Amino acid sequence: MRRIGVFICHCGSNIAATVDCAKVAEAARGFPGVVYSADYKYMCSEPGQEFIKAAIAQEDLNAIVVASCTPRMHELTFRKTLANGGLNPYLFEMANLREQCSWVHTDKEKATVKAIDLVKMAAAKANKNEELTSSTMPVHKKALVIGAGIAGMQAALDIADAGHQVVLVEREPTIGGKMPMLDKTFPTMDCSACISTPKMVEVAQHPNIELLAYAEVTEVKGFIGSFTVQIRQKAKYVDHDKCTGCGLCETKCPSKVPNEYDLGLGQRACIYKPFAQAVPNKPVIDPLHCRKLVDNKCGLCAKVCPTGAVNYQDAERLFTDTFGAIVMATGYDLYPWEEIYGEYGYGRFPDVITGLQFERMVNASGPTGGKLKRPSDGQEPKSVVFIKCVGSREPAKAKGYCSRACCMYTAKHAHQVLDKIPDAAVYVFYMDVRAAGKAYDEFYEATLKDGAVYLRGRVSKIYQEGSKLIVKGEDSLLGRPVQVTADLVVLATAMIPSQGSRELAQTVGFLPDLDGWYQEAHPKLRPVETPTAGVFLAGACQGPKDIPDTVAQAGAAAAKVCGLLSKSQLETNPMTARSNPAICSGCGLCVAVCPYKAIQLISLADRDRYGKRINRTVADVNHGLCQGCGACTVTCRSGAIDLQGFKNNQILEEVDALWR
Amino acid sequence: MNAIQIKMREVAGQLLSLGEVDRVIGWEKGRFAHQSPPAFITDETKVERLIWDEYCLTGTAKYLLDDPYRAGKTGLFARGCDARAINRLIQDGQVKRENIVIIGICCTGMSDSVSRQMAAKCCDCTHPTPVVYDLMIGEPVKPVAKPERFKAVAELEQKAAQEKSEYWTRQFAKCIRCYACRNICPACNCRECFADQYRVGWLGKQHHTAENQVFGLTRAYHIADRCIECGECARVCPVGIPLMELNRKLIKDIQQLFGDYHAGVDSETAPPLGRYSLDDMEEFM
Amino acid sequence: MALMTEANWEPKVLAFCCNWCSYSGADLVGLNRMKYPENVRIVRVPCSARVNPQFIIRAFQRGADGVLVAGCHPGDCHYSTGNYYTRRRFLVMKRLLEFIGIESQRFQARWISGAEAVKFRDTVTKLCEDIKALGPQRKLRDQK
Repeated sequence: MRRIGVFICHCGSNIAATVDCAKVAEAARGFPGVVYSADYKYMCSEPGQEFIKAAIAQEDLNAIVVASCTPRMHELTFRKTLANGGLNPYLFEMANLREQCSWVHTDKEKATVKAIDLVKMAAAKANKNEELTSSTMPVHKKALVIGAGIAGMQAALDIADAGHQVVLVEREPTIGGKMPMLDKTFPTMDCSACISTPKMVEVAQHPNIELLAYAEVTEVKGFIGSFTVQIRQKAKYVDHDKCTGCGLCETKCPSKVPNEYDLGLGQRACIYKPFAQAVPNKPVIDPLHCRKLVDNKCGLCAKVCPTGAVNYQDAERLFTDTFGAIVMATGYDLYPWEEIYGEYGYGRFPDVITGLQFERMVNASGPTGGKLKRPSDGQEPKSVVFIKCVGSREPAKAKGYCSRACCMYTAKHAHQVLDKIPDAAVYVFYMDVRAAGKAYDEFYEATLKDGAVYLRGRVSKIYQEGSKLIVKGEDSLLGRPVQVTADLVVLATAMIPSQGSRELAQTVGFLPDLDGWYQEAHPKLRPVETPTAGVFLAGACQGPKDIPDTVAQAGAAAAKVCGLLSKSQLETNPMTARSNPAICSGCGLCVAVCPYKAIQLISLADRDRYGKRINRTVADVNHGLCQGCGACTVTCRSGAIDLQGFKNNQILEEVDALWR
Repeated sequence: MNAIQIKMREVAGQLLSLGEVDRVIGWEKGRFAHQSPPAFITDETKVERLIWDEYCLTGTAKYLLDDPYRAGKTGLFARGCDARAINRLIQDGQVKRENIVIIGICCTGMSDSVSRQMAAKCCDCTHPTPVVYDLMIGEPVKPVAKPERFKAVAELEQKAAQEKSEYWTRQFAKCIRCYACRNICPACNCRECFADQYRVGWLGKQHHTAENQVFGLTRAYHIADRCIECGECARVCPVGIPLMELNRKLIKDIQQLFGDYHAGVDSETAPPLGRYSLDDMEEFM
Repeated sequence: MALMTEANWEPKVLAFCCNWCSYSGADLVGLNRMKYPENVRIVRVPCSARVNPQFIIRAFQRGADGVLVAGCHPGDCHYSTGNYYTRRRFLVMKRLLEFIGIESQRFQARWISGAEAVKFRDTVTKLCEDIKALGPQRKLRDQK
């Protein structure tokens, strides 16, 4: 039997001016289970809390109701008071007499009637409250970083530098992501590879980082502090322990295919490193094109390899490890403009390229050695048209969002064309110039001074006339159509979430937003966390970003991970769902609605109604994963699954009390 | 003797003698000419008890839950409604498909024991041919849309709030809380019904109209997106409460709001209230 | 307390508010010292998806003159997806309640964010006005 003590707070005059606190306290004495009530000027003050503690001892109270401000303000304060007074902190309820009564009403009589009702509801709930206890769960002091672009590398380095173990998984044969593909970075024009490849080496050599390139996360189980993750490393067909990275095999391989790293502008062998400074700096065999693996012919690479590292029988490997935290750093891809931009030729015109292809072309280590050449005939372009917002800011056709980096890289590209080809003409079709960033607008202005012609308007059509491309559009500032004859057209295509990122999110256990970007837990206050505890976000997987923002966010994610890994144990929230196996019929409807994958069906040894030993399916809640939303409780017709602290009978009691 | 009945006995005899099942559930002739209660046959020599006439009204599937963990396989005679009930039980995790041999019967409708007319539940039947089966007796009939089965609901919807309230108050004033509607319902397969959980307090024990209505509404809501429209609840109600009108109201709204869905037509598609779409209708702004 | 008679009848409206958005929206009404009728009683729940439609039936049975369920806007749910289930459940439940004769004004579901103090105030004020115009709720009631 509960012995409830009710404490009515005046909050100075905040409550007392509009609510007759003494009258509420008097009325409370008549509520079921209430054995003591009092009113006091400031319940949350030190003397107020001492007053509660004394009453607990003197009146032998075993549940407390405080009627004061919003529980969002002082619920934790009073729970601590209960704990200090020797009571389980969850034998506590609050009635919100300030924000939801005295401050919103003026008629003292009516406000007092309402206050009595609110206290009655709180007391009714307190009457059904149960002792709840937090448990602790261990934190595995190891982090998993998925994706080894600049975001993943930075996060891994920051976590590793703090002294924690990191496993960095990258699905490509090399780490580095998109950044080393770029030529120069705006606005400082420093060489992208020169600042990213040392990071790659640092990652590879860091004693706390274990690098798993050419590998993918295939399964994630568990929860914050202890995620059990299965990682599948693809077959490399080259034993990297034996391989010295001499590169002889690459030069001898007779099969050549378009190089993904150069976006089809160059070629690579079928035993290859994506680029010269790749990390690991050792090759893999492309199983889809290697003659030996496809037709069992050739085998040249094995013959020339001085260390015998080539192994055509190589198979994929599975690793399983346990991590305390996961950082998602899966980056972006570019919008497949060829699929919907018929007006730009659906990719049929070889001289219409993307910004990233331009980066490869202008890069000294790229397929053209840094020379700007038309892909069609290898001639130097004299007239270059840039089109921005291809796929971005086009909600009706492609994506509604702004891809954020394109304004700046297009300005950089324009500058580079004018720098390399002094007599070239450069036109930029734009919607707006968004150059918000340190030294960004200055860079854009400098490009204008270089002689780039900015035309505000959309391009409606590109077509080929002889060896030239005719670009038709509108100059919306002058309000007239424009036509430009171009040798080369460069499209600033939208960033989209990287391929497979949605499936990966499902594997890890959270949902991306409508565009497929990883949803942060709160857009302002929890920008690097996901709704799934222990999973953090770094870089463009969360939304389009440039390099400085990506690096900053990676550092922020790393700081969150370090905060988590600095603990050896986590205290769990006891207000989570519980399944009662005696009632559960195992229908599984609750499993589907749980946003945290916290519920699973398990087999329970039991006896049937005739006494026979059977195995029965029941729902089981993982308290580390459950966040206590209660969505499952409503799917359960029999109430077998219920939410601690907000149980069905507690809420029904609150409702009933109001008309008792 | 009709062809279906001959075939039923033949199939049941074969299944039992070959040991493919160790019991069959069908119908037999009871005490009254106008009733054909369910039959449970474990002996191949007793298959002559099985009958097929116009009074085989009772659903067979729910009887699987009387002993859900029995070791042997059950041969279950299933009309369209029974087949959807089996899918209901499979989807709700109550029975395993591999434990049942479904002998489908293409049903053309049964007769009401009193009026001798086509039974109400059969008039509104959309899937006379079983949607799941291992063996089939009779010629399959295509599913029929039967939009007219929502007519009573649509008419009631048009009435004023007071009239609707009076109608349902009158109906539930009759309720004797026998829970026959629940007990017969294949969607009501909880281990412990909310109506029996007095300690939680979903429902009071008092027998008066308000509690009866709360029971009726909750029962309807609990099966809202899972009701297979077998009509058994309304058929067995001893006081004649038109329970299918409540069920059909929910089915109608769910179809209009969330798209075409027919519970129990397969055992995979999740019930609409257990999932969502970002494009769901928005009227709570 | 004085016996409630027809003459001095004041409606009682029960509001289920999710902790993260609507409950804090209601708190913000107070912080801004905006006013609304005294008829509203708020039950705090973690998420609007915790609100079992049976709670609504129960409230009407016991004597609620009106019920409000309030949660985060779709897309803003603290638990990611809770309010999408809420939306489905109460689209259906609202129609069922109307079908058995509960006037549509008596049951409302609304998305109210933690910043929408004005929306909270306006929603409950309108709800109370509508219900005062309808008079006491007598359907589904334990005692008639």
